[in-house]
Amino acid sequence: MATATQNIPVAPQVVPEKVAAPKRAYPGALVVVEGIDGSGKSTQLYLLKRWLEIGGYRIHFTEWNSSPLVKSATRRGKQRRLLTPTTFSMLHAADFADRCERQILPLLHGGYLVLADRYVYTAFARDAARGCAPRWLRNLYSFAPVPDITFYFRAPLEVAVTRIVAGRPKLKYYEAGMDLGISLDRSESFRIFQERILNNYDQMVETDNFVLMDGTVRVNKLQKQMRQLLTERVDLKQFAPKKK
Amino acid sequence: MTPARTPSTPAIPANGHPAKRSKKSKNGHSNGSTRFYGIPMPGVNTEELSGSLIVVEGTDGSGRSTQISLLTEWLEGEGFAVQTMGLRRSFLVGEDIDALLAENAVTRMTLALMYGTDFFDQLERRILPALRSGLIVLADRYIFTLIARAAVRGIGRDYLHGIYEIALRPDLTFWLDVRPEVAFDREFKKSQTISYWESGRDMSLSNDLFQSFIRYQSMIKREFEYLSKRHGFLELDGEQSVAEVNGKLRKRIASHLGIQSTHYKPSHALAHLWR
Repeated sequence: MATATQNIPVAPQVVPEKVAAPKRAYPGALVVVEGIDGSGKSTQLYLLKRWLEIGGYRIHFTEWNSSPLVKSATRRGKQRRLLTPTTFSMLHAADFADRCERQILPLLHGGYLVLADRYVYTAFARDAARGCAPRWLRNLYSFAPVPDITFYFRAPLEVAVTRIVAGRPKLKYYEAGMDLGISLDRSESFRIFQERILNNYDQMVETDNFVLMDGTVRVNKLQKQMRQLLTERVDLKQFAPKKK
Repeated sequence: MTPARTPSTPAIPANGHPAKRSKKSKNGHSNGSTRFYGIPMPGVNTEELSGSLIVVEGTDGSGRSTQISLLTEWLEGEGFAVQTMGLRRSFLVGEDIDALLAENAVTRMTLALMYGTDFFDQLERRILPALRSGLIVLADRYIFTLIARAAVRGIGRDYLHGIYEIALRPDLTFWLDVRPEVAFDREFKKSQTISYWESGRDMSLSNDLFQSFIRYQSMIKREFEYLSKRHGFLELDGEQSVAEVNGKLRKRIASHLGIQSTHYKPSHALAHLWR
């Protein structure tokens, strides 16, 4: 039986194509907003998106944790509280990989301006606050393209926490970091967890070239700054509607 | 994060594993850090782990599952409690992966990370609790199959080793090595067909299923050869008879666990495996 090997072509050498961030190997651009809950980032990205949409730009909006492929697993894990820091992180990475491979990367290669509400930095800040090693997290997400600009919305902890607690009937278990056993009081646990996340974000301002945005500035004024900064950093002309 | 926050744990040492393991104390393990490849998994106290983790690796059709059934019976006969693990058996995502595989819509990185999630869920919810209770864990495949499958699909080996650096280092890792043609015979005999994933059809290697299977399994085998050198596998010729392979496995495991006699004859229930 084994003689069949003779005519079989040698298996192709696996080129250890490094799954690392491509160096702008695409015509698109990636714009990211980051910040703790209640920092105002989603509002600002929404306004930015509306501005670009109205102008007819070639854009796509993507959110953290929104892929249908792993949604059921995420829901099961959260509802039954099965997630540990490691599996929580892995599952979100799988979710992100799905979005990255099937949405973000094809769109960047297709010349879109991609707007992302939260990106890998959310995982770096949050999962490290849960106890995952930063080096492990950095490696886990090393396949993600590096953003052209990352807006970091920073609001004082008390301001952000008040915004969230006031707007929500009940904080969810993982959202409040209850799995860490910091405090039995959900609001208290949430506050301490967010504080850790905030500290982790602050450290990335330098290491990851965040553009710091003051979340306490009035909405329309902050939006004006954001549009200004985007125009300076990204060549918007290439995403403008093409004239025939 | 800033470098200051990064623990200065070494990455997986190339070839470093057998030498380190021999230093461990008789009943358990001298030092927590050597129980992991790199950074320890968060929330694990290795001092509590009194059981043994024994891994059987090999491609499809290498006889792993047969050997694990027999080893389980032998160990239980010797008075050891056994826990098993295998791919896609986690409560968290086992069924989700089945669904992803059935759809063929999944991309390589997502699949690799879903398998990783499945692995870590079993590690934390099945393996570690068993090891804390002093059980023998028999793993039907481990991180090595996951690394090999992802690597042949072009995902970087360093990247993959980085993910699994927080995994527990097995006490013994056996590799049942068989040629792809032999694996083909066995797999075909078992299910009268060759599956999509076992022949690596997502990789578009050949439209001929036999060719596709052989080429894919050859690529996997090559990754195993590399992994074997890097991690010090105990290599066994998987083409020998079930009884012969089983005898070698028992001998090595007996010496690890301090079992005096390696005599074993399968019960009636398992006699059909003893060919």
